[in-house]
Amino acid sequence: MQISTRQSGTFTIVDVVGDIDLYNSPEIRKVLLEHIRDKKVPRIIINLKEVRYIDSSGVASLVEGLKISRNMSSRFMLYGLSPAAREVLELSRLIKVFEVYENEEQAVAAK
Amino acid sequence: MAFSLKLELPSHPQVLSVVRSAVQQFAIVVGFNEEECRSIILAVDEALANIIRHAYDNRYDQTIELTCRRLGPDLGTDPGTPLEQVCDGLEFVIMDHGRPATPEQMKGRDLDDVRPGGLGIHLMCQTMDQVSYEPRPDCNQLRLIKLLKRKTQ
Repeated sequence: MQISTRQSGTFTIVDVVGDIDLYNSPEIRKVLLEHIRDKKVPRIIINLKEVRYIDSSGVASLVEGLKISRNMSSRFMLYGLSPAAREVLELSRLIKVFEVYENEEQAVAAK
Repeated sequence: MAFSLKLELPSHPQVLSVVRSAVQQFAIVVGFNEEECRSIILAVDEALANIIRHAYDNRYDQTIELTCRRLGPDLGTDPGTPLEQVCDGLEFVIMDHGRPATPEQMKGRDLDDVRPGGLGIHLMCQTMDQVSYEPRPDCNQLRLIKLLKRKTQ
């Protein structure tokens, strides 16, 4: 798995490539906490379009990011969910908890 | 003809991607569609992750045995019969020698409580047709079954 971040206006975009599982989910958790809690970014978007697989530990990292974002009054969004990622969030009944968009343009344009 | 795959794995998270690939290929051969394959991969991955985290407390030098077996009649009795007409599913038996799971852990948690963690058993039960767990004197055994739903000729 590879993680990189970039800036698009006031949005911080986290690009994730590869599977997110027990082996590497601590890495995504670390990046999310670093940006949301330490750097206090106002808006963070997670690009999951290159993520073919995500397990419950990956979902847990996203939930933790979301909860800290809410505490920090920042915004936390996802886009580009693969069928596997969408299914895991639906099975966990978390799909409606997140702000989910089809693509980056929609996420950035969201009110 | 025996149709099974037995893997002896270290309890290290790095092997999970290898197992996912093997399980995916096995499920494709048996005839599951893409969505079913994703479900099977998720369930097996969650089962192994739970063993690594909870049974072995993240000790990565322990052993997990995974046996994947195709369910259905003995495939050797009639070699001419197309595989898709005789198979009816996949069984995974996963054995570890760590701390047994408690009945509470095997029940899963309330999903209305939005918080990180505790989703593994719920995902297994949602995606597989049968999930059974048996702590034995010498090992813990988790059995997962996914049935093929398609009609045969």
